[in-house]
Order: sequence, then structure tokens, then C-alpha cells
Amino acid sequence: MKRNVIFLVLIVLVVTALLMAGKFMSKGSSNSTVSAIFQAAPEGPKKGDLAPDFTLKTLDGKEMKLSSLHGKAVMINFWATWCEPCKIETPWLVELQKKYGDKGLQILGVAVDDAGEKAIAEFAHKMQMNYPVLLGTEKVADLYGGVDGLPTNFILDRSGKVVGSEKGLVSESVLVEHIEKALGTAGGNSKTTTASAK
Amino acid sequence: MKKPNLACILLVLFAGLILAAAQQPSASQQADAVRQAAAVQPDASRTFVSFEPVSTIHVAPGKFAPAVFRFHVKPGYHINSNKPTEPELIPTVMHFSLPGDVVIGRMVYPPGQLTSFPFNPTEKLSVYSGEVLIKARVVAPESAATGTYTIHGELKYQACDNNACYPPKKLPVTFNVAVGSGGGKKSGPKARPTKTSPHIHSN
Repeated sequence: MKRNVIFLVLIVLVVTALLMAGKFMSKGSSNSTVSAIFQAAPEGPKKGDLAPDFTLKTLDGKEMKLSSLHGKAVMINFWATWCEPCKIETPWLVELQKKYGDKGLQILGVAVDDAGEKAIAEFAHKMQMNYPVLLGTEKVADLYGGVDGLPTNFILDRSGKVVGSEKGLVSESVLVEHIEKALGTAGGNSKTTTASAK
Repeated sequence: MKKPNLACILLVLFAGLILAAAQQPSASQQADAVRQAAAVQPDASRTFVSFEPVSTIHVAPGKFAPAVFRFHVKPGYHINSNKPTEPELIPTVMHFSLPGDVVIGRMVYPPGQLTSFPFNPTEKLSVYSGEVLIKARVVAPESAATGTYTIHGELKYQACDNNACYPPKKLPVTFNVAVGSGGGKKSGPKARPTKTSPHIHSN
């Protein structure tokens, strides 16, 4: 009788161990599937991250390095000539650059477009863009999460940290909110960062 | 007391293994995990338009046969029509690489639906959404050799939703044309391709 009880206990233990092993393996494989996908898609900087630095060519043939704008609040606006929502947003950006430029805002228009430099320049002229227009590259787009949808905006404070980002057209007031936060956030550390800015 | 026999022990272990296996995620559970991950992460390779396969088009040398290419734009998205309202907008166009013995006549694109979108309610854009039918004539010259040709092409389009636009895409389009007597009718059994257009397009 005693041997039978021991045998039954052993069976229960074996079955329990197998069940737990199965559950553990199930968790493991599901997680690995998900992480494989997350690794496949490029990840952009998140709120609080230092924005990835880049150097891009401007429409007038010069080069601009993002980190050279330390001390300013920066809005990186990814756009394209074929993007209708971008056309709605651009006049707002022109106005925002006028309004907040003196307070330390610098908008950068990064064209993610293979329409060609001439077409981009004509479009920028037509839209009266009063901020630098940079010729985007796939590498830079990847640094910012692939920039799958346009417009995409990243707003950085004076220390170069991301304070907000928006994919797709949002209302002008949302952009204003981000900009004021970027300029305001810089209030505490603007003295040090501005002093070190070139 | 009777000793537990080996068959009984094996049976219990086997049952345990089955139960453990049942804890493994099924293919559909894994697919759900994939879908959930895809839903929260932008996928740069996603497509917005699908192509409905075309049955083999039969055409006799010196004659033509109509072809209809059926596409479906994903719900919630639109693509520019073949004649967008603005010069900067990228039109939807279909191109083919032809093997030489088959010619695609003039493509007939449907008229765009003039639609205004929340990002600019005052302006109407010429777009396609839902089902899009593009028509063409498949022409076999008199000199065309009998046989089945696989035609490769692509649909170039640029999609947007209500507040964002996505980079231009190329959707591969492939169909077979059987050149032989009794042609001119559109449908028929799928024939094994014997000749192929020189370029294969990939997305």
C-alpha cells in the first residue's frame, strides 16, 4: 500500500514538472517571436532620449549637424513634396519659426523624398519655408524609427533631448504645446547648455 | 501488493508529455503574438494595396483580348488616382516588362474619386479607395510564337490615410498569357508558363 502511495506521488510530481516545463517553454517561445519583430523594425528615440545626431546637406549645398544646434529647441520635421498633410502643416511651421525663432526655436525640414533636389527646392520656395531644408537620407530616417508616415515631427529641448514626437498631422496647438515645453524645459539648464553652444 | 507495471508508468508519462505539449503555443497563438507586435510597431514594409490574381488570358496571334486587373486598397487608406489634382502628387501607374511576343495596349485607369479629407476639408483630391479596376488590351502580334508567357509588372502607388502619407510602393503584378489558336477569350485553365518576361520585379 505504502509503495503504491509513493508511486502515485512520484507520478503527480513528474506530471507537474512536465506541465511547468511546458508552460515555461510556451512563454519563452512567444516572447522570442515578439522580440524578433521588435528587432526587425528600427526604433526611434523616445521621450527623454538624446536625439540621434546627424549631418545632412542643406538645399544651398552646405552641411548641417544637428548637435551644432545645442542650446536651441529644435523641431525636426520630416516631410515630402508628395505629402498632402505636410502641405497643410508647412505654413504653420513657417509661422511658428517666426513666432518662436527669437526665443530659441530652430525648425529643420528634413525632406524624405526622391523627387530630386530641384523639385524639393522649388517646393520649399513655393511654401516660403523660412527654416533650413535638409536632404534626408534613409540612414537618418532609420535613426528616427524609419519615418514610415509623414509628416513626422520630433521636438527636442535645448539639451538635445526628445520632449515629444508626432506621427501624422496634428493640430497646430499640439505643436505649440511641444515647442513651449521644449523651450520651457530648457529654462533650467539653458544657461549651461547655451554657454557651451557654438 | 501488486507492482505497478511498466505499461502503466509509460502511459502516465505519455499523458504528462501530451499535457506539457498542450501548454506550447499553437501556430495561431504565435500568429496572434506576431499580429499584436505588428500592431504596436510601425512596419516599414507594409503594403496598402493587394492584387487579385488574373486567370490566364488567351489570345490568338494577330488578335487582342481584354484584361482586367483588380486591386484592393486597404480600408482606411487611399491612393492617388492616375491623374492626381496636384503636380507633386504621385500618380498610380502600372508598368509591364514584356517578353516581345505580347504587347499590352493602352491602360485604362478608372477616374479618381474626388474626395476631401480631414487634413484639408476645403480641397478635393482625386483618389482611389476600395476596389480599383485597371483595364488593358493584351495584343499578340501576327508573328507571335505559340506558347504561354508570364508577364511581370508592377503597380506604383503612394498611399495616405486621414492624417499621414506613406512612402511610394511598388506592388508586383504577374499573369499568364497563352498565345494560340482560339484566342480572344479571357478565361481558361492555367497553363504552365513556358516563356518569361526579362525582368522580375520585387517589392
